Parts: sequence; structure tokens; C-alpha cells
Amino acid sequence: MDRLRSGIPRLDGLLSGGLAADSINLLIGVPGSGKTILAQRYAFENATPERPSIYFSTVSEPLDKIVRFGQTMSFFDVAAVGTRVLFEDLGHELVRGGLGAVLERIQALVRERRPGVTVIDSFKALTPYAADERDYRSFLHALAGSISATTGASLWVGEYAREEIAEAPEFAVADSVIALGRRSYGTRTGRVLEVLKLRSSDFAAGEHGYRLTDGGLEVFPRLADRRDDSRYVLPTERLSTGVAALDDMLDDGYWPGSATLCAGPSGVGKTIMGLQFVVEGASRGEPGIVASLQENPTQLDRVAAAFSWTLGGDVEVMYRSPVSIEIDEWVYQLLELTEQLGARRVLIDSLADLQFAAGDVGRFREYMYSLTQRCSRAGISLFMTTELPTLFGVERLSDYGVSHLSDNVLLLQYRDAGDEVRRCVTVLKARATRNTTGVREFTIGPGGISLERPAAGAG
Amino acid sequence: MACVPTTGLYSIGAVARMVGVSVSTLRTWEERYGVVVATRSAGGQRRYSRNQLEQLTFVAREVQRGMSPGDAHRLLAHRGGAAAEAPPRPPEGVGLLILVAERDPHAAGYVDYFLRTEGYRVEVVSDAVEAERRFALLAPQLAIVDLLLSGGLGGPLIERLTSSSARVVAISPLDAEEVSAALGADAFLQKPIDPVALVSTVRDLLGTSALTRATARSPA
Repeated sequence: MDRLRSGIPRLDGLLSGGLAADSINLLIGVPGSGKTILAQRYAFENATPERPSIYFSTVSEPLDKIVRFGQTMSFFDVAAVGTRVLFEDLGHELVRGGLGAVLERIQALVRERRPGVTVIDSFKALTPYAADERDYRSFLHALAGSISATTGASLWVGEYAREEIAEAPEFAVADSVIALGRRSYGTRTGRVLEVLKLRSSDFAAGEHGYRLTDGGLEVFPRLADRRDDSRYVLPTERLSTGVAALDDMLDDGYWPGSATLCAGPSGVGKTIMGLQFVVEGASRGEPGIVASLQENPTQLDRVAAAFSWTLGGDVEVMYRSPVSIEIDEWVYQLLELTEQLGARRVLIDSLADLQFAAGDVGRFREYMYSLTQRCSRAGISLFMTTELPTLFGVERLSDYGVSHLSDNVLLLQYRDAGDEVRRCVTVLKARATRNTTGVREFTIGPGGISLERPAAGAG
Repeated sequence: MACVPTTGLYSIGAVARMVGVSVSTLRTWEERYGVVVATRSAGGQRRYSRNQLEQLTFVAREVQRGMSPGDAHRLLAHRGGAAAEAPPRPPEGVGLLILVAERDPHAAGYVDYFLRTEGYRVEVVSDAVEAERRFALLAPQLAIVDLLLSGGLGGPLIERLTSSSARVVAISPLDAEEVSAALGADAFLQKPIDPVALVSTVRDLLGTSALTRATARSPA
């Protein structure tokens, strides 16, 4: 089937390659959700001098305003306007001659210019100009008939509410329906795109995050990967944790592609253990990423310098502030960077910040499940930190369910040894590993973390 | 709207022409009654807003109907400055003819009004086919063409008109200065149209006054 592409790869991916080339499509959403931007993106992306795009405005927004704001978009080619992309105002026809005049004008221009794409924005604004429902249905029937009689796609843009989908006759006519809206996640509000209908084609269901950019929309499809039972080959050589004695406790290190959760109270050494893991990889020629939501690059450089480690080179720092990111955008950025660098080891510091960015626990778990699965299949090892609220004694891990997804769980703790407080580590879980479950004290010295002799009476 | 500023816009000469009274009468009314007080430009020249133009049109009409200027001003002040009726359409100019090809009737209305108040004659059309017909028939000295005329015909129209002796101004809500230059237009104005920029552009292209070049450039 020929496809009408938006030129936004992840959006086209959601639609199994794009909308059908000869189809009627409804783009619905609240004001300010980016419907017009997306419609213009389709118009410019698919326009050629032989098969131009025609953008019809109605009575919702003056045409001059639509194009004036449109031209701030990077895809909006002013030189194409009037040749490849035509902007037409139906407002005066509508006010003076009603739907009949609108139909005549559209039909005349479709005959004359043979557009590949027609957009009607706002389509919903046409409804009040029908004398009654019968009149409106007749108009829809005639319009859909004349659009479908020749090749080309049509996008009808409107501020329809979800409740109208079952009632309004245009939804029955449309071959696809894409809804743009907002959704609250805890205290946060995010933009969401949902494909509600796509005739004779598969599509990715559910709410996908998106952001408005000067290129149109940047879409972050749900990472809720379907269960994939296909087998994949795992490397057989283990990875050093960067701490020799810890390697011993783990029966010679982590498996490649494993996810390790490191839990512990503030200041116990979680970040340092993670950095040590990534730096160890870099020293063996494995690129790594420090995905930090806590320390910024300057702070991280200072931490690394204390142990004579160098960030940069094979270790890339991806710092994002937890208050200004969305989890979907963050996960996509991390996956892209991983692919770009060919990274093998990734430190995520910390999960609590990421959970804050997700807004709600369900969304957080969905993204973490998909991230750990994708990394596992790609043989990328994750090291994730999570903070425990109590300094001494741990009753449970407040890890938002991530320990279930993790192959290894390390618990770092403080131990009150009378005149001093010592640090110790326990391997709580290590999948497919004959691990040592004892408690080992460790110190943080100039070379990073090193384990002490097995602690007497620990456990 | 951005193209209808509420601050001083028109010179005292333009207002006198539009209202149909002398410049000295306007000065006298302002000094004596203090109801319609023009703002001053940086150079000290009086500048009247559209609202003030409407107020003065109201006063002039009441005076013409037999009311004393003092009573007309008191009536205006009593109404809180609201002129009772919309100002009449500016008088038909006798000067140079300008063809305006503009798709949007609201924008066309403003352009028509601004140019007439400056004394130009204006012919407004809304599509390219009619524009060409009128252009051939009336031989205007200047054409103002919206690049977004229906059917993508604004650009081709500009190209054809520039082969005549008429001056051509392209207008568009887009920042299409380069496109307009490539089509051969003499000037480009981005919408929403700023009246001062419109009038000064037309003046620059046709000469300082709507009337001075009427004889020199009148069609043969």
C-alpha cells in the first residue's frame, strides 16, 4: 500500500509506515495541541509541483494567522507557497454560500490543481453551517465521494472531543483518526498522541508522548514492547564490576546485558560504584554512558578526578535535570546516545529522579521494563542506583518494582562499629550466578571502592 | 488589530481632507474646546488616531447640519467621545489609481480605506482573473497584490503586471520578501499591513502626493 508519510520517522513508524496515500484522515485534539502544525507538516512533506498540497482554512482561524505562525516551522518553505503548497480561505464561501459553496470551491480546485494532499482546517467549524443533520450528511457524502474519486489524501482537522467520536458522522467516513491531547501524570502534564483508527493497517496502540518542536512534532512512542519470546544470543564472557573482590562475590562479575540495581542510603558510595563500573569498561575499550539526573557534568568531573578517572573520551555524560525532562523523551535520548556511541555500559543515577520525571509509577515501570529488555537484547549492561531512606537497617527496597526487573541487586549499607561507621555490601540477588551472599565491608580510597576481608559475624 | 493603531497616525492635512474642513479650523477646535486633542510627533506635528478622525467627522457633520461647533463638541464630550455613527466612506479621490488584488476582504477594506484617505483612487478585486481584467481596462499606476491569491495565482499575476509600466507592491502574511523580489515586485509589505508603511511605500513609488503625478502618469 502506498503511504502518506509525515517525515517524522517515529510517527510514521506508529502507523506502520504512514497514513494510506488515498484516504480521509481526521486529526483531532484540543486547541494548542499541534493539529495545524502536524497537518502543515504532511502538506509540505508530500507536496510536489505536479501534485501540490492544498491547505483550506475555514472559519476557526484566519488564514493569514495560520500561515504567519506556520512559517516559524523549519519545514515551512516560503518559496513553496503558491507553487507546491497552496493556502486557500474557505471562510467567505462558507459564510456567504454555506456548505454548497464550500463543496463547489473544493471540487473546482481539486479538478484544476490535482492535489496529492488536501487539508481542511477546521473541519469541525463547518458543522454549524448545515441546516440539519441530513444536510450535513449529504455534504459529507458528496465531499468524501469527490475526494475518493481521484487519488490523494485528505486531512480533516478539528477540535473534536473524544465523546464525539461515536456520534459525529465524519468519524465513520474517516479511514484514520489521530488524537492529540494532554494527560496528567501525578503533578505533571504531558502531551499525548493516540491513533484511534487506521483502516486496513496495524498501528501502535496506546498513548504516545510528543513534544512540539520547530520541525513539527517529536514523537516518543510507548516503549511498552510487546512480549518477545524470540531467542537471542547472550555473550558468555562476564564483565568485571571494576572491584576485584566484588567480581569474586559475583562469580567473576556481571553478565553482559544484565541490569544491576544498587540500593543504599545517601553518601554510601552508589554513584562511585557505578562510575567505577563504567570507567572499568572504558579502560577495556567499551564505550560507556553516565546518565546522570543528580550531579551535573562539573560535579561529576570533580568526583571522577578524586579517583584519577577521566570522563569524556569513552565515557559520555548525559546530564538532564529531573525537573525539566519527561521520562519518554529521556529514554529515547538515552537509547539514541547508546546506539550512536556503541555504548556497552550505562550508569543511571538515580531511579528516584527518573521516577519523579515519570510522574506516575505505572508509567515509570512500563518505561523501565522496556529499557531493561532492550538493553538486555542489545547486550548493554545497566547499573542503576536507588536511594534508601534509612541510614542503618533496611526493611525493604523502595525501588518502584525495578528489583524485579534487575538481574543483580546490590545492597550498600552503613554499619555502626562503635567508634566508627563502616560501609558494607551484600549481593542480594544475582541471576544465573553462584553468588556469595555474605556481607563484605568496603572502603572508598584513591582507587575507588575496594572490599575488605569478609566481615566477621555479618549477616 | 495591529494595523489599526490607537495612537497618532494621520497628519492634520490628511484629517482636514478626510473630514472636509480646513487645517486652521482643526487647530481652532482643538485650542478652543480641548475635546479632540491630537498627539504630537517627535517633530511637534499633530498626529490623529482613527478614533479622533471619527470624532472630528462627527463634529463636522453636526456643524454642517446646523449645530454650533461648541455644541457639537459638548455633545461629543457628553457621549464620552463616542462618535454616533461610523465615519462615511472617504471621498472618492481624483488622484492616481491603485488596483488592490487582495483575497481577504477585511485586509482589502483597510488598504482601500488607508489609500483613499490619502487621496488615491482605489479599485479592489479578490482574485487574479478579475485583477488582470481590471488592470487591462483601467491601467492603474500601481497594483498591490496578495501573494496568497486563490489557486496559487498571486505570484504569476505579479510577474505579468511587472512587465507593464505600473509599479507593483507584493503583500503576504509570510516573510516573502525574497520571493517577491524574484517575481519582480517593486516592494514587499508583510501583513498585517501597517498603514504608515503602506502609505509611505505607495508615496515613495508614485511620488510624494497622490495628486501631483496624476497628470504626468494618467493613462493615455
